[in-house]
Amino acid sequence: MSKRFFQNKTAVFTTLIVLVVALIGILASVIAPNDPYETNIINKFAGCSMEYPLGTDQLGRCVLSRMIYGIRPTLGLAALTMVGTIGIGAVLGIMAGYFRGIVEEVIMRIVDVMLSFPSQIMVFAVVALLGVSVQNVIIANVFIKWAWYARMIRTGVMQYRDKNFVQFSRCVGMPERFILFRHLLPSITSDLAVLASLDIGWAIINISTLSFLGLGVQAPTPEWGAMLNEAKEVLTSNPTQMIAPGIAIVALVCCFNLMGDALRDVLDPKEVK
Amino acid sequence: MKRYVIRRLLLAIPLLFAISFICFMFINLIPSNPAEVALRVQQMPVITEEAIAEMEEMLGLNKPFFVRYLDWLVGCLQGDFGISYVNPARTVAGEILRSLPATLQLAGASFIIVIVLSIPIGFLCAVYKDGWFDRIMRSAVFVTTAMPPYWVGLLLMWAIGVTLGWLPTNGNGTWQHLILPAFTVGLSYISTYIRLIRNNMLENMKQDYVLYANVRGLPQKSIWVKHVLKNSMHTCIVAMGMSIPQLISGTIVVENVFSWPGLGTLCISSIFNRDYPVIQTYVLLIGVLFVVFNLLFDILQTVSDPRLRKED
Repeated sequence: MSKRFFQNKTAVFTTLIVLVVALIGILASVIAPNDPYETNIINKFAGCSMEYPLGTDQLGRCVLSRMIYGIRPTLGLAALTMVGTIGIGAVLGIMAGYFRGIVEEVIMRIVDVMLSFPSQIMVFAVVALLGVSVQNVIIANVFIKWAWYARMIRTGVMQYRDKNFVQFSRCVGMPERFILFRHLLPSITSDLAVLASLDIGWAIINISTLSFLGLGVQAPTPEWGAMLNEAKEVLTSNPTQMIAPGIAIVALVCCFNLMGDALRDVLDPKEVK
Repeated sequence: MKRYVIRRLLLAIPLLFAISFICFMFINLIPSNPAEVALRVQQMPVITEEAIAEMEEMLGLNKPFFVRYLDWLVGCLQGDFGISYVNPARTVAGEILRSLPATLQLAGASFIIVIVLSIPIGFLCAVYKDGWFDRIMRSAVFVTTAMPPYWVGLLLMWAIGVTLGWLPTNGNGTWQHLILPAFTVGLSYISTYIRLIRNNMLENMKQDYVLYANVRGLPQKSIWVKHVLKNSMHTCIVAMGMSIPQLISGTIVVENVFSWPGLGTLCISSIFNRDYPVIQTYVLLIGVLFVVFNLLFDILQTVSDPRLRKED
């Protein structure tokens, strides 16, 4: 598998980009040229210079530093969302697929109801209910997405549940826990990895949208969506403000989408034509 | 056939109940007492026990849970969704009805844009597969799926509204106001359907009936339009129909970018004002729309496609 991974240029390249971006985010305090919160009202809307490589915003803050610090909430929150989604989805999906009967019925009916709501509206509803804050954004995103994963993982588990190696384990008296975590979970990991890397782009867009509307990460914190919200205010006078954060979001999401496609090719050679 | 339709209809009923129940639960899950919230939203200076009791009486909060649910459900069915917390003189139904036309206008316009753009582009992409047009469109589709709609809105506002000055950037009234927001709402759907139509057509081109049409010596153009496109349109129409509620709910972000006075703007301002009944009704409406449209187009597909009919 690792050999196929390294042969796939797109997979290697996109994974590298994501890792580098994540590393820049982690090392933000070392790499960023300026303090992202430091305002300098005299020097607002400055152009590119050695001190401010991407210029300054309407409060004279360094745009590049804000972009670099913005990686933290953007990527971090999206990653947290995915961890939460997959966690809940995996537990419920495996339970539904493996135990069947009444457990499955109950879980799958809840999943049906969840899937019949338009996800975008549910995010707003949950944020409205819990109040505007960062953790509520994550809760809202997990809340609307877990059902997709639960259903997908259930299907995966059902495919493998009656395979010979699982039957064998059951015959020799392995505990259920062992079958679940050592047989079924690894079997569906590749599907999960593909889905998760495709969905993390979705999570990035969703979280930045909420921040843009003022329902997520709040104003002084550098986050790409929140930066675009501030850029919107000065759209007519200084339109260049919205370029850097927007391109960053598109590039990162494109990167994750490409990575998802490449991972699918790597993990599922049947699909490659 | 009849049995299938009836079964689908019956299955939708518990789903509708579940949706209405979730929407009802929503307002009861608020950490604080709704009556208190309502008083606070109305900026009552001193919130006394009596004022809360009075508000509870007015909002019917002192009845048992299921009685309240049934009352609320009956009210909803009669078009009475309660009163707005922010302005008790206004009903929620009135607020929604006031903003609904603008949103429907926007969603309708973007639906037309989606159809007008995605079908010809998807068709050309499939016909000239791997040609320059197909390649450009494919990369465009790839990039647009990664673009957050609000950023697209801002870019269009800047490029077409501010720099070129061709179209107005906010407000509504004339058809010129409609173009930018409608295109922004539709963009992600355009790319989805270009891909869908292209892939469907390519799939259909491999079918035997196309080979047979070729053997019969029909002109290539008529095979593409009358056979391949017609057969591919089938699934696309169903997918498009099912996405109508999504288009309506997708306006929520774009409306805020373009200050479009529709449901989305109402919903976001209600979230900031904690006007829970309005949000509740909005979620309920979209949820019901979702179920209804899914049901409608699911049945339509089964009715119109003989291959699906046989399986039942």
